[in-house]
Amino acid sequence: MIFSMRKKILLVTVILLAAVLLSGCVGSTTWPGLSADGDTAYLANGLSVYAINLSDGEEIWHYPLQSNSKLAFNSNPVLAPNGLVIVGSSGVDHSLFAINPEKFPDGPVESVGGVQKFLCSIGLATCPEHHVEEWIFTDSEGHWVASPLVVSDKVFAPNADGNLYILDLHTGDLLKKLTLDGDSKTPNRLWSQPVSDGQHVFVTSLDLQVFGVDAETYEYWRQDLTGAIPGSGVIGSDGMLYVGSLAKQLEKFDPVTGKHEPVLDTKGWIWGTPVVNGDNLYFSDVDGNFYSYNIKSGKLNWESVKLEAGPITASPLVYADGALVVAESGNVYFVDGTGSDDVWHAAPEKGKAYTTPVSAGGYVLVSYIESDYYLIALDEDGDQKWIFPAGK
Amino acid sequence: MKNTNKTPAQQPVQQPPQLPQGFSTESLKTIAVIAVLVLAFTNWNSLIAIMVNIMIFIYRIAGHNFGLAIILFTILIRVVTWPLNAQQMKGQVAMQEMQNDKEWQAIQKKYAKDKEKLAQEQMRVYREKGINPFGSCLPMLIQFPILFALIPTITYAIGSTPLSLLKLAEYAYDFQNVVGLLPLKSNFLWMDDLGLPERTLVLGLSIPVLALIVGITTYVQTKLTMPPSADPNDQTAQTTKMMAIYMPVMLFFFSLNYASGLAVYFITSNVLGIVQYALQGKANWRNLLPGGQKK
Repeated sequence: MIFSMRKKILLVTVILLAAVLLSGCVGSTTWPGLSADGDTAYLANGLSVYAINLSDGEEIWHYPLQSNSKLAFNSNPVLAPNGLVIVGSSGVDHSLFAINPEKFPDGPVESVGGVQKFLCSIGLATCPEHHVEEWIFTDSEGHWVASPLVVSDKVFAPNADGNLYILDLHTGDLLKKLTLDGDSKTPNRLWSQPVSDGQHVFVTSLDLQVFGVDAETYEYWRQDLTGAIPGSGVIGSDGMLYVGSLAKQLEKFDPVTGKHEPVLDTKGWIWGTPVVNGDNLYFSDVDGNFYSYNIKSGKLNWESVKLEAGPITASPLVYADGALVVAESGNVYFVDGTGSDDVWHAAPEKGKAYTTPVSAGGYVLVSYIESDYYLIALDEDGDQKWIFPAGK
Repeated sequence: MKNTNKTPAQQPVQQPPQLPQGFSTESLKTIAVIAVLVLAFTNWNSLIAIMVNIMIFIYRIAGHNFGLAIILFTILIRVVTWPLNAQQMKGQVAMQEMQNDKEWQAIQKKYAKDKEKLAQEQMRVYREKGINPFGSCLPMLIQFPILFALIPTITYAIGSTPLSLLKLAEYAYDFQNVVGLLPLKSNFLWMDDLGLPERTLVLGLSIPVLALIVGITTYVQTKLTMPPSADPNDQTAQTTKMMAIYMPVMLFFFSLNYASGLAVYFITSNVLGIVQYALQGKANWRNLLPGGQKK
């Protein structure tokens, strides 16, 4: 067999394509965002944000109406009190969109192909236009990993460019651009949704810092930790801010001064945001351990539970009698009030789960990547009720 | 008791180890390459882990500059694969020179309609001239696991998205104490994040500067390695010309959509390749000039 130049070209092409496919071993570069209200689930999954009917798992709408490869949605969509769905893109086009579900047209929308889209853009053809956005904020310099937080009529939107953008909820107008850059010359990566106690907005950064921003004056304090903080903080029953970090520590912050102290050492990195229920905080670490920490006593309610070897990045769903914990493997565990655990829903044949589950409409919603479906609805017994998309 | 002391004349002649019939050293080389490839792909995660940890180590000694770490990493890969590249280059040149060989051209004409016979004759000529037709392909093949592993390596090492950061934690060896390094500084020169595709605003237009540089340097490297052909219209010359267009365009689009850190790798690798060709005296600078191919 002779390797002619033509065959070499073919070989190189195959190899580069294989490299692209094998980089599929990189697979998803992040996981979906998920939220829900009374009857609708909102799933931000790559190129689209889906609104899904909770009763049957059918798609109600998806955004954008015409596919756009420059967009990528992966943060939890935020449901504002005025009905807007706010979600940012982590794609090349890193805009923040306020979608108005009421503006979606009835019935299917005609798909516009690449050539036609180009002709439309230069005015040589007419394309159907549907503007379902109430507003679009395009001035951020980085992509959106974090979800924004709505406080009164303001949207506090932390961006990976290190800025906290404060916008008018109704118009999207920029009220304030707060650069939370600390002492570093490189921008702080703000990856997590802020949390508020009504007076302050607390922002955590991947660059080891916690900020407490006054919601009115925008003055802020800054504190340094020893580990990156990929999750959000949480306000405890004592009014203090609790933050977990990759330094394997849970820290307690005074919300006014920012003064802080470690309250618990963990076995692994704390990734997910702790969840508060009464005087207890529930959270996991990336070594697969689950913790229940009592704020009043300053101690664990029981020794941490090792659920599995893989990481747990999702926050738990906490109930009166225990908590549901989603692990990377896709298994959903129920841990009762004594720390005893059991598999409540077994992992699908393929797929991984990193997204925090959501409880809505009587179902527990669990999102998967690298699976045959994006979302599954489980009833109170952990049995599957529907999957989305049904025919994927 | 048997007398084992034999005179030299009686001693059996020591034969060098013989390969089974039909096996050549070239076959052995091919099997070795396949074995390396199988080993790499069946231990894919281990390969990525090794490369990620090398990258983190370089990042640490490069003053926490990820762009510089990628450049040093590329140099390391180039140094490690230098002998393979050199062999590949040698094989390419030999194959190209063969295209201008009188006997070669004669058999092409003579057996143009008998492909089987043509292949036999070509193999005979290769044997007679001591050329391995796979000489330029095997070294290239053995480098593929590294090329394939580069995309996840750079993606995970930069940790620009939550999942890639989590993977970095998974792949980093304990002794690296990676938590003290996180998050890695992923900005470099004018780029804010080497984990994302690069676009630069020029006069209000979003220009993929890095991808363009990848395309240009790939074009230059490909052109420099094109040996002059006796007949620029022959099929090989045509396909080589096509390659000079095809590869830069492909890598341009590749760089357009992947992490800009990968584009930094391509550019560094291209520049080093050009330097390597030049140092070996193989660079054909005339090819860069319009009409430079003509002799």
